[in-house]
Amino acid sequence: MADLARVLGTGRRRVATIGTLAVLALGTLYGLVRPESTPGILLETLFTTNTLASTLRLSVPIALAALGGIFSEKSGVINIGLEGLLIISAFSAIVAAQSTGSLWLGFAGGVLASVMLAGLFGVVCIEFRADQIIAGLAVWLIALGLAPFAATVLYGQPNVSLTAAETPPTLTEVVAPIPGLSGLVESLSEITFVGALFDAGVTVYMMFLLVGVSWYLLNRTTFGRWVRASGENPKALDTAGVSVSRVRYAAVLLSGVFSGLGGAALSLDLATFGGNGQTMVNGKGFIAIVAYLFGNYNPIGAFLSTILFAGLDALQNGLQIADIAVPSQLIRAIPFVMVIVVLALFGRTRLPSAAGEHYESGEE
Amino acid sequence: MSLRDRVRAVLGRLVAASPTERVLISLASLVMAILVGTVIILVAGRATTCGAESASYYFGVGFCYDPIVVYDRLFLGALGDPLSAGWDPFNRQLAITLRETTVLLFTGLSVAIAFRAGIFNIGTQGQMVVGALATAVAVLWASPLVSGAVGTVLLIPFGILVGSLFGGLYGAIPGALKAYADANEVITTIMLNFVATSIVLYLVSGVFKDPESFANQTESLPEFALFPSLLYDSAYGFSILALLFGLVAIGVLYYVLEQTTFGYNVRTSGLQPRAAEYGGVDAKRIVVATMSLSGALGGIAGAVYVMMVLGKFQTGVPAYGFDGITVAILGGSNPIGVGLAAFLFGVLKSGTTVVQFATDVPRQLIGVLRGLIILFVAMPEFFRLLGRRTMGPSRPKNEGGATATDGGESETEVSTDG
Repeated sequence: MADLARVLGTGRRRVATIGTLAVLALGTLYGLVRPESTPGILLETLFTTNTLASTLRLSVPIALAALGGIFSEKSGVINIGLEGLLIISAFSAIVAAQSTGSLWLGFAGGVLASVMLAGLFGVVCIEFRADQIIAGLAVWLIALGLAPFAATVLYGQPNVSLTAAETPPTLTEVVAPIPGLSGLVESLSEITFVGALFDAGVTVYMMFLLVGVSWYLLNRTTFGRWVRASGENPKALDTAGVSVSRVRYAAVLLSGVFSGLGGAALSLDLATFGGNGQTMVNGKGFIAIVAYLFGNYNPIGAFLSTILFAGLDALQNGLQIADIAVPSQLIRAIPFVMVIVVLALFGRTRLPSAAGEHYESGEE
Repeated sequence: MSLRDRVRAVLGRLVAASPTERVLISLASLVMAILVGTVIILVAGRATTCGAESASYYFGVGFCYDPIVVYDRLFLGALGDPLSAGWDPFNRQLAITLRETTVLLFTGLSVAIAFRAGIFNIGTQGQMVVGALATAVAVLWASPLVSGAVGTVLLIPFGILVGSLFGGLYGAIPGALKAYADANEVITTIMLNFVATSIVLYLVSGVFKDPESFANQTESLPEFALFPSLLYDSAYGFSILALLFGLVAIGVLYYVLEQTTFGYNVRTSGLQPRAAEYGGVDAKRIVVATMSLSGALGGIAGAVYVMMVLGKFQTGVPAYGFDGITVAILGGSNPIGVGLAAFLFGVLKSGTTVVQFATDVPRQLIGVLRGLIILFVAMPEFFRLLGRRTMGPSRPKNEGGATATDGGESETEVSTDG
């Protein structure tokens, strides 16, 4: 393994990627030759339009939370409370949509709640210098308690279904009034597998857009430079006359905005909030953290690793229906195991050097 | 610096605070959480609907939920109303409180021991679930071989041993991943919780399922394989012996941490990882050993849950592991502090059912309080500031940039306090 790495002149990230691709290629070949074998069924399930469609749908909350996490952590505040932000926004979005009857006010409600909780987290970490990990856990546990509590107060039970508003429209529905375009999109969406790209909900396109916007914001703007400096070398940023805590507040609030959109998309797409047990968010916030670590803090990398995790999740859903020897309860564990494997292989991601540390301006 | 070093440094600062300060911070956090909880109860009481006659009035405004009643039921109700006449110390509600305390003691100790080595074990829940199923299966397997009082004497230690073994092995996984692959244990332990739930669901809905039952559960353990209920009625699912076992565990852990070389290595790894390594401590082995011990304690919590509370294994184990995080943080990761915090949380959990019986307040309130307590414990600086603002007469009140200006000085205050 190490020799191979030296030959390639790269780290083990590259080696592992090549190894994974090789295994995948061999599996694909075997599956193509013998379609009735387990790899064959796997392949068949993988390349259905349904699998891609649910991969994209499942990606939305994870990818958006990951984008938020990147900004926060790049600025020096490790936000382990993404899960809590997703929970609170998923719930608030349903409440707002149900009480106003407007889908878009639902999104606004979700984002508002998430930003408020992120703001609280920011004040606690930046103003009161709390331990970021413990404060993040607190954000998660508060949301985990508060959302089902409020749901029970308002609706008499922890699960809430949305009946007063529509779910987010799909692209086909959006372009339906436009004569020329609707026919084109219609025919594109009927292509096997890739057709799913043209018939997804608007939240999926929002995710595509925000991945690009985040990349641009982080790498090509002054604000992005400040965020990176705030995490890598806050002293230099301070010397340059930019307030480190303001940049960090902005980044933490931005993580609230992104996670809020993600949580709202999660619940509004399904027109329901599930508040039992770990709630409907069920670890997506934590998977988001691994996704951006795996993507090395690059929004596009984080998006691609999200697709990997969400794809596994979609695949296991498909496999539960397909006739395969492995029991469904065990298949359900695959994405979580994969997260651990990825983390073990790529756990040494370099953190922004001032992440997790409180910064105290010397002058002011 | 790697994330591990940072987390350790932060934990080090947390543990380094003087014991008095930590007790004060824990108490203040509790009070603050209750105050914020009061506001939440009042707001929730406005949001819900009820008849005008059942509302309580404060400042001329009607609220459906009365926080005073809620807290009265929560705290006094959990003890079986000790202030009223004819209080029976062996009442049902107190038994439930002590039952919850017993399980929380072990999950709290599990999280606390990892904390002391600078490790966040969020996976106590999963380790408990794995230990609980292992105990149930092993004791069911062994129970036909023995019977009667001899059976009790043999099976209970056997069950605890199996639970701790499987919990320990499940805890060793994230330990090894952290030590040898540098995988962040916060994420791996959370993921392993999900994995444990899936695997256990698979096993209990298949191989180990009670064929007579519709629920995903094992067969019931024979009566003699359960913790004997002395003093308290057997229907309460509480055994004073298990509680005593928990108190012994506190003592043992305290001794191990404070008096043994292993404990010294664990503590220094948590406080000064670099210094510990210079001192010849094998940091990787300490991580794996601590996580195994932590997992074993989680597994024992599972064993106690099966052999005392439930009498079998069933899916949907309550969130004792997550409450263990709060118990450990509130108890300052000190075994004795954990004991006190476990009792407090036992009161909260048991009191919740009393509150639910007496009022319409949803039981999820305890979850909110749990999060709030952690939030406040996480920010000792908030209380220092609060203390200085309200009690420090020498300091002029300045708005806006007050905290930023105070910052540099309070750093030194922290160290002189500690």
